[in-house]
Amino acid sequence: MIDNIQQRDSELQDTQGRQFAGLLDTHANRLSMRTLKRLEDARLQAVRLHEQKMAGNVHNGGSTLGKVFFWADHHRAVVTGLVLATVVAGLLLVQTSSFKVDTDTMLLGSELPPEAFVDRGFEPSLNRRVNFDETQEVRSIKL
Amino acid sequence: MASSQELSDFLRSVERRAFKQTVYAVRDEHVALDIVQDAMLKIAEKYADKSVGEYPMLFQRILQNTMRDYWRRQKVRNLWTSLFSSFGSGDDDDERDPLETIDVEDASKDPSVQLERSQTMHLIEKALERLPARQREAFILRYWEDMDVAETASVMGCSEGSVKTHCSRAVHTLAMILEKQGVGMKAIAQLGVES
Repeated sequence: MIDNIQQRDSELQDTQGRQFAGLLDTHANRLSMRTLKRLEDARLQAVRLHEQKMAGNVHNGGSTLGKVFFWADHHRAVVTGLVLATVVAGLLLVQTSSFKVDTDTMLLGSELPPEAFVDRGFEPSLNRRVNFDETQEVRSIKL
Repeated sequence: MASSQELSDFLRSVERRAFKQTVYAVRDEHVALDIVQDAMLKIAEKYADKSVGEYPMLFQRILQNTMRDYWRRQKVRNLWTSLFSSFGSGDDDDERDPLETIDVEDASKDPSVQLERSQTMHLIEKALERLPARQREAFILRYWEDMDVAETASVMGCSEGSVKTHCSRAVHTLAMILEKQGVGMKAIAQLGVES
């Protein structure tokens, strides 16, 4: 019983809704010439774009390079991330290589042979050298 | 995959309704034209590979999203313009174009029927503009675009129950507003038949 009433209400509501919509539809056909012209222009523009898209002419003619640019254009966040990652990796690489150069210079310029720096027996002597160098540095700053 | 001719036919069949629908939402014909144009370009550019059968729902979804984008931008713009409100003039209504007043076609020859219909339409349009956005959206998609409840729910991104509630409230509100103005549902039905 309740279901029947609800269904009747729903049907009545649909009928009323369609009556309103019918009037709106009639009215929508009465637009100004200027509005119709703009809508037509927009439609033609969209159709032209669709034609280009279908012909594969959009974004540099669909060539491999064109596809790369198209992909890059539509994945800006990814491309920005890749560029940033490359820059950071480059900086790290430069820093590592300059550290290597410093180490090589130190090893070659030292009085001790390079093997001495990996020999545990030389550790106390190397520590003393480091302490001595630091003291010299402090003295030179004070002077 | 739809051909360009099919796309053209589809756009031709929906453009007027899409425009009016957008006008009810944004209340500015120029903005509405821009939104409809954006929606047309988006469907042509991004969904060229879809079949023509998918276009009605896709187009509605794009149109609704473009309208939402407009509201979002408008919100930010309003924030700034309210800060510098003394510079605003807002008197664009003075620019009237005679072309705007020309009706393309009117099937009814009887001036009294034309006047009555025009007045009723004005009332319905004003009432539609006053509806909450979601109710208006549901009403237009369900009854004007003739989508079923499931399709409307899919376009609006809500449940079917919500669509039914929105539609019911919208129809009741419209009927109530018109009733207050002395236009009953019988008159609406009669005007619908005559047109």
